[in-house]
Amino acid sequence: MRRFLDRLYAAAAWLAAACLASIALVMLAQAGMREFGLLLRGADDIVGWLCAASAFLALAATFRHGELVRVGLVIDRLSPALRQRAELGALGVAVLVVGYILWAAASFVYQSWAFEEVAQGLIQIPIWIPQLSFVVGALIFFVAVLDEFVVLARGGTPAYRLVEEQHRAGMDLGEAP
Amino acid sequence: MDTLAIGAILFALLIVLLAGGLWIAMAMSVVAWFGLQFFTSSPPDVNLFQAFWGSSASWTLAALPMFVWMGEILFRTRLSEEMFKGLTPWLGWLPGRLMHVNIFGCAIFAAVCGSSAATCATIGKVALPELKKRGYDERTSLGSLCGAGTLGLLIPPSIIMIVYAVAAEVSILKMFLAGVFPGALLVSLFSGYIVVWALLNPGKTPTAVEEMSFGERVRRAKNLIPCLVLIGFVMGVMFTGIATATEAAAFGVFGALAIAWWSGTLTRESFLTSLMGATRLSCMILFILAGASMLSSCMAFTGIPRALAEWVAASQFSPYALILVLAVIYLLLGMAIDGISMIVLTTSIVLPMIEAAGFDLIWFGIFIVILVEIAQITPPVGFNLFVLQTMAKREANYVARAAIPFFFMMVLAIVVVSAFPAIATWLPDAVLGVTKK
Repeated sequence: MRRFLDRLYAAAAWLAAACLASIALVMLAQAGMREFGLLLRGADDIVGWLCAASAFLALAATFRHGELVRVGLVIDRLSPALRQRAELGALGVAVLVVGYILWAAASFVYQSWAFEEVAQGLIQIPIWIPQLSFVVGALIFFVAVLDEFVVLARGGTPAYRLVEEQHRAGMDLGEAP
Repeated sequence: MDTLAIGAILFALLIVLLAGGLWIAMAMSVVAWFGLQFFTSSPPDVNLFQAFWGSSASWTLAALPMFVWMGEILFRTRLSEEMFKGLTPWLGWLPGRLMHVNIFGCAIFAAVCGSSAATCATIGKVALPELKKRGYDERTSLGSLCGAGTLGLLIPPSIIMIVYAVAAEVSILKMFLAGVFPGALLVSLFSGYIVVWALLNPGKTPTAVEEMSFGERVRRAKNLIPCLVLIGFVMGVMFTGIATATEAAAFGVFGALAIAWWSGTLTRESFLTSLMGATRLSCMILFILAGASMLSSCMAFTGIPRALAEWVAASQFSPYALILVLAVIYLLLGMAIDGISMIVLTTSIVLPMIEAAGFDLIWFGIFIVILVEIAQITPPVGFNLFVLQTMAKREANYVARAAIPFFFMMVLAIVVVSAFPAIATWLPDAVLGVTKK
């Protein structure tokens, strides 16, 4: 189970990275073709969809890497026992929030599909196809948050805490904003 | 219920959630849901979807992951070593000598990199050990790196400016142009401080200078070429209109990859690491923007910003008093939260006020970016402090104290830019015209 979940997060993250790299390719192709008087139809829409897909699919991996920002000012100063409770509380709320996000995304996209809505742009495909990245990303994110909640409730240390501790010991400096 | 009372309830809820350690984007979503559910008739789930999808699936915002990736690639090249070699022969004559490499190195790197911590880390990893080896005062060296690293935010391209431009709905290109002169102002203030410091503390600067002929200096300056070419390339395609500000970012990635390949640091591994790092960092930023966008739509439905703006307009504050109050609030916020959250948490409330008071949104963008720069070096939460603390293996307090003079230089810069707003607004107005916002 552990191995399956880790692979799931990694696969989603690599898919997100591929989307990000594709943004660069589409943009360069568009600017290049413009110089020769050609128009890459709908490039703006494709870039927007890729940008969204890249963000949503990477959520689970980013969360587990401890890179989703939070305010540590108060909870970092709590005693270990209190900290454990605060962390459990925060993760509990996170499960609810991400669950709600997943539900909102899924129900909206289901309606796009049921009413056969078409994208308003140059590319006339059903809008649920690009929007699906939100649902899939939110689902994997929900699994990741639930995963961390279960790990913490069983007395383990969540992955994002492990990374935070590694960061303190000496880190890859390129990734702080 | 009174609109301002609703605002107070939502604000209190936000503080409790943030202090409880909930992830910032989630905290914003919860507050937005609460506001929409109980104080308006607008369905929160539809708002959530439109805010999250609308803010992420955006052509304009796609510049952000591109500039992030560009910085990640350049961080893994030898660009900073070359820059150090190229700059040193030209700065030895100034009082304070090689200390100025920190300032100018950061300023030049800032013109290809959009983030403060990455600028600080890239220049710091070379300059810090070199200056220490040559006997320069470590404290001032650390402080100047800490301060000058923040130029990454003010000198275009800049990630934080993209975030502001999207939140405030102003042109990214205009924001970039507006950052040029304030950036130059900060560089001269930082360098000026080092000159004064060196003259007051003559014993603390080593006297040994590498003697070299003019020809040798020019040969060494060739090391700067890759970086300058990249700056010229990105700025060139952007300001000549070959590419939009968004596409220029993709050109930047291409140029950065070319430099990495040319210097032999482009491996399969470094490519994939930079790509994955950029993916996670932009995911973090886009998630915050999504939460903020939902909070903004909640604000729009409840009418809180309008009520506040009317209150400010009615209470006849002088515009300077408003700016002063905001500056103090941002300084305090900057101690606790990161720059991006600082901007997106406040824009939906503050911008209507600022417009009601008659300020230019581009000017306010520069004002807020300098305050975010300060936030990078004020404890307990300041990313540049974290970076240098790890690099120099020093206490956080030591680095923070070393940065104090540079903190005051930035405060001075805010005062100057407030007194003479044209420093920020002249260039974008001259290049792009006054009416286009």
